[in-house]
Amino acid sequence: MASIMQKNKQTLLQTDPLDTSLSANNLSLKHGKAHIIDNLDVALPAGKVTAIVGPNGCGKSTLLNGLSRVHMPSGGEVLLNGNNIHRVPSKEVARYLALLPQDTSAPDGISVAELIRFGRHPHQSLMQQWAMDDQQAIAYALAAADLNELKDRQLDTLSGGQRQRAWIAMSIAQETPLLLLDEPTSALDLGHQIEVFELIRHLSQEGKTIAMVVHDLPSACRYADHIIAMKGGKIITQGPPKDVMTKALVRELYGIECDLIEDPMTGSPILINIKRVKA
Amino acid sequence: MMNTKTHSLENMPPQPQLEGHTTLPLGGESQLLLEHRALRRNAILLAMLALSSIAFLGMGSMVLSPLQVIQALLGQGSELNQFIIQHLRLERLLAAIFTGAAFSLAGCLMQTLARNRLATPGIIGIDNAAMAFAVSSIVSTGISLAPSAMALAGAATATALAFGLAGSSGTRGYRFIVAGIGIGAIAGALTQLMLSQVDIDTANAAYPWTVGSLSARSSSMVYALGIGLLISLIACLIWARRFALLPFSDQVITGLGEQIKKIRVAALSLSVLLTGLAVAVAGPVGLVALVGPELARAMSGYRGIPLIGSAIAGAFIMVVADLVGRTLLSPIELPVGIVTSIVGAPYLIWILVRRSPRN
Amino acid sequence: MIPWFNRIPAQRSLLSALVPAVLLLALSCFLSLLYGAGAVGPLEAFKALFNQGSADAYFVVSELRLPRTLVGLFVGISLGVAGALMQAVARNPLAEPGLLGVSAGSTFAVALALVLGASAATLTVSVAQIGALVGCFCVITAARMQGQNRDPIRLVLAGAALSSLLVALTSLLLLYDERAADEIRFWVTGSVAGRGLEQLYAVIPSMIIAALATLYVSRPLASLALGEKVAIGLGHNPGRIRLIVIVCVALLVGAAVAVAGPVAFIGLVVPFAARALVGPDIRRTLWLCLPIGPIVVINADTLSRLVAQPAEMPLGVLTAIVGAPVLLAIVRARRLPTL
Repeated sequence: MASIMQKNKQTLLQTDPLDTSLSANNLSLKHGKAHIIDNLDVALPAGKVTAIVGPNGCGKSTLLNGLSRVHMPSGGEVLLNGNNIHRVPSKEVARYLALLPQDTSAPDGISVAELIRFGRHPHQSLMQQWAMDDQQAIAYALAAADLNELKDRQLDTLSGGQRQRAWIAMSIAQETPLLLLDEPTSALDLGHQIEVFELIRHLSQEGKTIAMVVHDLPSACRYADHIIAMKGGKIITQGPPKDVMTKALVRELYGIECDLIEDPMTGSPILINIKRVKA
Repeated sequence: MMNTKTHSLENMPPQPQLEGHTTLPLGGESQLLLEHRALRRNAILLAMLALSSIAFLGMGSMVLSPLQVIQALLGQGSELNQFIIQHLRLERLLAAIFTGAAFSLAGCLMQTLARNRLATPGIIGIDNAAMAFAVSSIVSTGISLAPSAMALAGAATATALAFGLAGSSGTRGYRFIVAGIGIGAIAGALTQLMLSQVDIDTANAAYPWTVGSLSARSSSMVYALGIGLLISLIACLIWARRFALLPFSDQVITGLGEQIKKIRVAALSLSVLLTGLAVAVAGPVGLVALVGPELARAMSGYRGIPLIGSAIAGAFIMVVADLVGRTLLSPIELPVGIVTSIVGAPYLIWILVRRSPRN
Repeated sequence: MIPWFNRIPAQRSLLSALVPAVLLLALSCFLSLLYGAGAVGPLEAFKALFNQGSADAYFVVSELRLPRTLVGLFVGISLGVAGALMQAVARNPLAEPGLLGVSAGSTFAVALALVLGASAATLTVSVAQIGALVGCFCVITAARMQGQNRDPIRLVLAGAALSSLLVALTSLLLLYDERAADEIRFWVTGSVAGRGLEQLYAVIPSMIIAALATLYVSRPLASLALGEKVAIGLGHNPGRIRLIVIVCVALLVGAAVAVAGPVAFIGLVVPFAARALVGPDIRRTLWLCLPIGPIVVINADTLSRLVAQPAEMPLGVLTAIVGAPVLLAIVRARRLPTL
């Protein structure tokens, strides 16, 4: 994986993939006139899986969209390897940062392999439509997401988990050191959620820096190395799950009372005895 | 071809392969990727277009055999035949091919842009607005290129209005379409109004054209359309990779490093340009824009956006429709717009009833 | 107390909207008699109305303008009510006879009859009604086939397609027959000019039938608005209600088209205004459509005479120009109200 990524074309962002960094300085994001996020500072820890958690409407997805340059900031800046992300040509950013949004509508009748090929878009051009690099990256993405047997199937005939894996494979084919995912497991059943989370962990071990918005707190604790807890557009706390997860935090985020115990197998925090806080 | 390929393989690094595709090395690190299915589809469509064109040139008040047609095209055969083909029928054939290709390509772009197979320029009122503007210039002035320019202005106006009225939902979603239907209704009414104000001869002369006809074309507008079509086809080839991203969501497109606005503006401008110029030649033959891309798609399944295929398919449909219109009820000539409506409208209803157009 | 215009439409009393509407209608009729065809100024026409003007003025007002006003009155009522009924049965605020191809169906039928040699007014009316009926059935079938995830706008698209098909077929007929073409050309844009009273007499029987049927069907229709299952639960037969409504719409639209040609958008604008005033209950909307329909048509007609003097602007053109923005307004509303 790392060896493929080093073959990226010379660019002004060129760094060792493991040194790729994404951070926000004083970032403000607005939806129309509503201020969603004001003056926020955040940096993604390199080579780790970061989970952004918080109640509905706290600005998690907006933050992710801001970090991935989809949402234009109204103030502050997002820095990719120290460069303002909106000053770098978008196509070049796409060779460093892949995004898997929530709205994953795809053309009718597209096959898995065809979808994954779109991930190579930032590496191709009019006169360079299918290079050796492309072929290798697709082969790697298919193998990593375990999709070799499904590659000729149409996307809309797959199960939810398989489809999500195909989308992740598309971002793997993009060969970026950074991967941002917006609720990759929403609308999936438990089995499919695990399927996707394990793939994400696997990618992290290969050296990617990953950030994802996650709804489910226990899964966030289980599969992330770093948690960013948000409420009302602010970061309340961040750090490794074990340090961050407290009863007080859960109450502040979701308005529920609970006890925390340690998973005897993995050591990650688990919520038990959950009750609504009475007003 | 085969020989040079095997020869060059010996001293070149292995070429990348892709199932169902041929990579065409251009030297250095450059190469093109050619898709077999698309090539096959376009070849079949071109053959169909060629055959229908020969039939088109051969049929008429004086019927010529295919052989005579080809001879006359090559400048052989009797002088009478050469005159009929080259001076009487060829320009009309070109007009049919150009308008069909332009409408269909515009339709394919608009469908892709709106992510809705029903969103063709005709349905969202661009045809009618282009017609209303063109009629206004026909009624008031005699400048030969004025209708083309006015039709373009009309098409652009309608698009801008539909955009503005659709509000935040942009080109995606049904609001854009219904806003367009409303604009089309107003433009249609205005056309009727203008025609009801002029003398009856002018109105009668303009009538076939308002339902879509190739008999009232002017040569200069056909050439203007030909140039516009050529430019658009080249632009489509260059931008094909970007247009192929349009079915994805905004975030995915941005994530892959493209600027959505640029792609949309390009697709929309091409669509407006093509529709405006084509309406100036043939009037609103809008349903070609719906059927052409469908034919191209039906012949290849999903393999990207069939831009070139749509253009050829549209040209084929237009040639056949005009051939039918000219010969079916001869000596009465049916305007081509009526033929395409009678075939295209039931097809549109069928799409609507059969399944949800959005999925 | 809340001012009338600030109240929720459904809370206003029907009478408080109906009385001003009827007064406005009377005023509109009056104006349409004062201004219009013939070289008679408003003042002279006013005198003639009270039997004090010249014989010429009297002739113009009673023979030219009065029939025209009456035709406008009739067309407005028919199309307004037909629109309201159609929208109730399709449960779609965009269902309009003109948009959905019902008018185009009548036009086609009339063109066919003319080509085949018909010219009597009565025949035209029944032929137009049969055409409207066929158009209605096509569209309602398309609407029903959409099933669960019905989208109000798809019906309109289906209607637009049906219209374009029928318009193409009509054009085809007109190309065939030059005589019919001349007769029909001005008529297809919709107009109330040059219509005699005899055409009105021809449609009276079907109007009476339609009025009775509408009265009968309005209550079940109101419960159908709550959904098919609710209507069945309340003891109605949705299939029969729909059938009656469709026949009513066909009678009304066919009659209107036979008299004035296809005048688009009236069936959209009028129920839209009525709903905005008294809320979505079909029993209230229908009553209000009675005055509002003619108000729109008669004023549009008066306006069409004044705008393009000395020539006239076809009524259908003007209603399209007035109606299309209403279509846009409905679509622009944040959520399309289902009926």
